[in-house]
Amino acid sequence: MNPFATRMHANNWIVPVSVLSMVLGFMVMTASITDKTRASRLGLLGAAQAGRVASGTLDLQNEFLKISEEVKSLRAENDRLQKAIGDRTQATKVLNEGIQQAKAFAGLTDLQGPGVKVTLTDSHRTPIGTIQGNDSIIHDVDVLRVTNELFASGAEAIDVNGHRVVSTTSFRCVGPVIHVDGVPVASPVIIRAIGDPAAMEGGLNLPLGVLAEIRQTDPAMVQIEQVKDMRIAAYGGSTERKFAKVPHS
Amino acid sequence: MIFLLPVVGLVLGALLAIALKVGPQGGWTGQYMAVACLAGLDTICGGIRSGLEGKYTNEVFISGFISNIVIAFFLAWLGDRIGIDLFLAVALVLGARIFTNLSLIRRYLLTKWQDAKERKRLQQLAAQAQAQAQMQADAAG
Repeated sequence: MNPFATRMHANNWIVPVSVLSMVLGFMVMTASITDKTRASRLGLLGAAQAGRVASGTLDLQNEFLKISEEVKSLRAENDRLQKAIGDRTQATKVLNEGIQQAKAFAGLTDLQGPGVKVTLTDSHRTPIGTIQGNDSIIHDVDVLRVTNELFASGAEAIDVNGHRVVSTTSFRCVGPVIHVDGVPVASPVIIRAIGDPAAMEGGLNLPLGVLAEIRQTDPAMVQIEQVKDMRIAAYGGSTERKFAKVPHS
Repeated sequence: MIFLLPVVGLVLGALLAIALKVGPQGGWTGQYMAVACLAGLDTICGGIRSGLEGKYTNEVFISGFISNIVIAFFLAWLGDRIGIDLFLAVALVLGARIFTNLSLIRRYLLTKWQDAKERKRLQQLAAQAQAQAQMQADAAG
């Protein structure tokens, strides 16, 4: 055999292999798992691998908890500083009182007082019939309607599983959990409200009221308790505004 | 350095995917694509190996690339339809083949390198012998 003939064609594989490895690179890119696609891929993986892949999100949750703790401590610090300045002269004292009033209204301070504690739990009863009862679990709408009813009957501060309800608070279902301001909350959902305990309990127990429908499914899903004295923590989320500005006229 | 061209191609493909805004796919598309990737990687390794061995033919390589991907895709899909993790079977077999191919490539390159070293040594010896013969011839003449 002529050695030169094979030599001439020795590298003929490089170009096709390179072209197809370009295709492979394209495919690897589409198959990779990122923050965006993690959620839709997790369910399709085995348990052990899903745990490894999900650890990215779990880290994020811990980070979130740490940061919201920090926000709380910084706000307390701010509070102390405002009070310290407020004590100096009469004018700053009046100013500080105004600030504290506004902050209490906005949910940026802890509040203390009598109130009610409403516990909403998923039903433990096996659903009647073959269809898995959709009524037997607590939905975002239930939480929303209860908080709305509580405010309507004079609640002055409300928290849901420790998350203070403020003017920008949102409730929504994401899969099997309820998100309060984007933070997942699962059954039992504990809603605490400061206000007139009797008035609020009466409002919740109105015939055909917000709780009647849930009680029809399973009375054990709702528990109302009057509390003599409780403390509701300040809002720990972001208060940043991106679009709204305070007009100066 | 022409041997680095496949690696360049790999990076270029990834960049192309970003440029065309075909980002990572979620759900089943992404999952099956992952299996197909494995098949593609196996075929690329096989192609490089046969190229180094001098047995490479275009038809075998390209048809192998396409059919391996299709088969891997199909097996993973079938496994999900009938509730058996055929996906794992694909991953196992292709993973083993990638290992074999890579080890063969490594051996081939090692042998080539050693051969080159040996050839250089022999050439040097030959040159020395020739120089000596020349000197002896000069001395005799």
